[in-house]
Amino acid sequence: MSEALFDISEPGQSRAKRACRTRAIGIDLGTTNSLVAIVENGKPVCLPDDAGTTIVPSVVHYAADGRVLVGAEPRDTLAPEFPRDTIASVKRFMGRGPSDAEATRRLTPYAFAPAAPSEGVVRFAVAGGRAVTPMEVSAEILKVLRSRAEEAMGGPVSGAVITVPAYFDEGQRQATRDAGRLAGLEVLRLLNEPTAAALAYGLDKQAEGTFAVFDLGGGTFDISILKLEDGVFEVKSTGGDSALGGDDFDRAIAEAILKRVGLTSVDAHGARRLLDAARGLKEALTDSSEAEASVDLAGATHEVRLTRAEMETLVAPVLERCARPVRQALADAKLEPAALSGVILVGGATRMPLVRRFVEGLFGQPPLADIDPDEVVALGAAAQADVLAGGANDADVLLLDVVPLSLGLETMGGVVEKLIHRNTTVPCGATQTFTTFADKQTGFDLHVVQGERELVGECRSLARFKLTGIPPMPAGMARLEVTFMVDADGLLHVSAREEATGKEASIAVKPSYGLSDEEVERMLLDSFAHAEEDVKARLLTEQRIEAQRIVTAARSAMADTPELLTDADREAIGPAMAAVEAAAAGPDHLAIRSAVEALDHASKDFAARRMNRAFEAGLRGKAVAAVEAEVEKTAPQADLAARVRDHAGHSH
Amino acid sequence: MVCWSCEREAGQGVLCAHCRAVQPPDEGADAFAVLGVPVAYGVDLAAAEAAFKQLSRQVHPDRFAKADPRARKAALGRTVQLNDAWKTIKDPVARAEHMLTRAGVDIGRGDHDISGMKTREVMAPPAFLLEVLELNDELSAAKRQGDSVKVAFMAEEMRGKVAETMQLIAARLEAGTPEDLQAAARAVVALRYQKRFLDSAEGSGPGV
Repeated sequence: MSEALFDISEPGQSRAKRACRTRAIGIDLGTTNSLVAIVENGKPVCLPDDAGTTIVPSVVHYAADGRVLVGAEPRDTLAPEFPRDTIASVKRFMGRGPSDAEATRRLTPYAFAPAAPSEGVVRFAVAGGRAVTPMEVSAEILKVLRSRAEEAMGGPVSGAVITVPAYFDEGQRQATRDAGRLAGLEVLRLLNEPTAAALAYGLDKQAEGTFAVFDLGGGTFDISILKLEDGVFEVKSTGGDSALGGDDFDRAIAEAILKRVGLTSVDAHGARRLLDAARGLKEALTDSSEAEASVDLAGATHEVRLTRAEMETLVAPVLERCARPVRQALADAKLEPAALSGVILVGGATRMPLVRRFVEGLFGQPPLADIDPDEVVALGAAAQADVLAGGANDADVLLLDVVPLSLGLETMGGVVEKLIHRNTTVPCGATQTFTTFADKQTGFDLHVVQGERELVGECRSLARFKLTGIPPMPAGMARLEVTFMVDADGLLHVSAREEATGKEASIAVKPSYGLSDEEVERMLLDSFAHAEEDVKARLLTEQRIEAQRIVTAARSAMADTPELLTDADREAIGPAMAAVEAAAAGPDHLAIRSAVEALDHASKDFAARRMNRAFEAGLRGKAVAAVEAEVEKTAPQADLAARVRDHAGHSH
Repeated sequence: MVCWSCEREAGQGVLCAHCRAVQPPDEGADAFAVLGVPVAYGVDLAAAEAAFKQLSRQVHPDRFAKADPRARKAALGRTVQLNDAWKTIKDPVARAEHMLTRAGVDIGRGDHDISGMKTREVMAPPAFLLEVLELNDELSAAKRQGDSVKVAFMAEEMRGKVAETMQLIAARLEAGTPEDLQAAARAVVALRYQKRFLDSAEGSGPGV
């Protein structure tokens, strides 16, 4: 980030920037398989391993000796032997708590570490007494992809775009971002998978028109409707089910096998073998009309024979669940299926003949068949990474994505008041005023939820926070203004203030499933022993950059408005600035951090005066002011973001 | 406005006239001004969409992912404003409400108290409300009895009424005298009830 301060609007540098463009990578972090792609000579390509395979199975094995293995070997040879220590389909656990359905379902090969009642993250108990979170498991996959890219490019990765299902909620997105940080990646953007697929397809075919992307992966289903026109890829609507995919087909088949052999339950080894046999049968039945598998269960070997028709009967009820989101997405986009220029298929499960027939039935037209459903998402991610890393370039395409699920607040009686509706183009903001319902009410409890239902209990809870210290007033007199802002990543920031007193509170919504900075740091340090590179060096570099940024910002602020500086300010800020610079020259990242905090504190009053001046100069508005406040956090006047909102409110 | 980057007069555009740096949004601008289209209810939607996309290409945060924090802040603010403007202009109801608000007519967007009740909302005429209430009862009864033909029929009838109301709003807004604007405001309030009814009849409304 430090160089960013100096590269504003200097057109002469565009050539140098161009040269760096290949340093950003695109990652498809899939339920079943993951891929990494880069842009080479203007075209995105997936990077293969030595054997020429681009796919990395998303399977992570934790060995008793502390080693971590990722990919085909754990999937094919280690999972059957060590089902508990070999995590597959970890994506289905991202952003999920210990009490979520995913962690409590039947036929699971995993052991879960006992969790404290308040704990929001599920943990797998694996070999060597370790308890790993889904974010850590995903980070292992990302690390493999990162080093594959670094080898191919002959240098470090500058940033990554990681794809997520469009229908992922805030918690799942935050968990994915955390996994990226744990893998030492600067996550430039979380990109929705269908959008990435449409981008890759549209760029490759020079396509224009309105397309549906039907993305049925291992664990998630997404449907997106996009309009491709004049280099702008605009998402019109999106929908889906973040717990529906090929894995559920496997489960339906596995349950049927279990029933056939007359068993009701199996142990972890049995569950793994059963699920693998089901997957094998399903895949074989893509090309043949009959298949068989042998599976060892409860001490006996069972031969299982299945026809395609039987298999289709078993999975049809699961597939049927895709229909409702598709119809809703078409209705939201105000489109009839016939108006679509084409249907793009993404995800391994769309190879199944049954799925292709189903899609044709839903849309009234056969899906496009000229794309590789496995690679297209990673290719789109690489294209977008290239755009983001390259800076403004008129030839670049522009993606306009949307909020997948409405965002709102709980009001009295458990009713949800939506502030931002689904399918609103991001970034976006909204402000709503609430009043007290009781006399002498001195606080507001704010409960932020996500979902389409009217009742809180049926939506996903994202965060709770409190605004207290409001002087007692009659009911309806205290007026609380709440502002939601969704940034270009689809991440939500919430702020609230009481208009009469100016009391305020704000949070960047970290759902209970997200990790705090401290947790990420601790996890990074925990993995230190196994890390390929020096984590502390990374932290040190980051803190040094931060220090440089803060000092530069403070210096330019002082030069900008010297008349607002008091002697006391000068006495406090000068030495604090010197202390930051001294600490930055040293090796201790914690020392730099505390020096930065001290500088922040010392410049507080000065920053407050600058901020007030800015308002008097006419800074008004609501949503946009809060947006600015959010960005303002990167400046030393961080804690003044609140005052932006204060003033913004009075324009109401 | 003075450009934050080169400190010269930035001009009226989204980019500085001198150094092309993206400028923070003008908070006073209404949705029409943000898109640079003439204020009219019968706005040329194709032209407005083209303007939205062309401006998006200039100011979207993706273009500034690696830029100076001030440029990123300005780009984010601009884009939030731009997205909001296009959302308002493209939707006929939001467009009507926006035109009334900018003309200073109270259309009672209303506050919400924490009990979920709307306060200060402009009420529709009692006769109209009574009619809506009766229709709602009729609809709930039809739904309870699983009479999908009746529900579909009621939805179709309401679609007709919505279309009528929309035409009335359009005509009044085009005429634009203070009396017309008041009449348009009353129609906008009525439209909200009609739309809520339609949502409920079409199945995407509350309780479904």
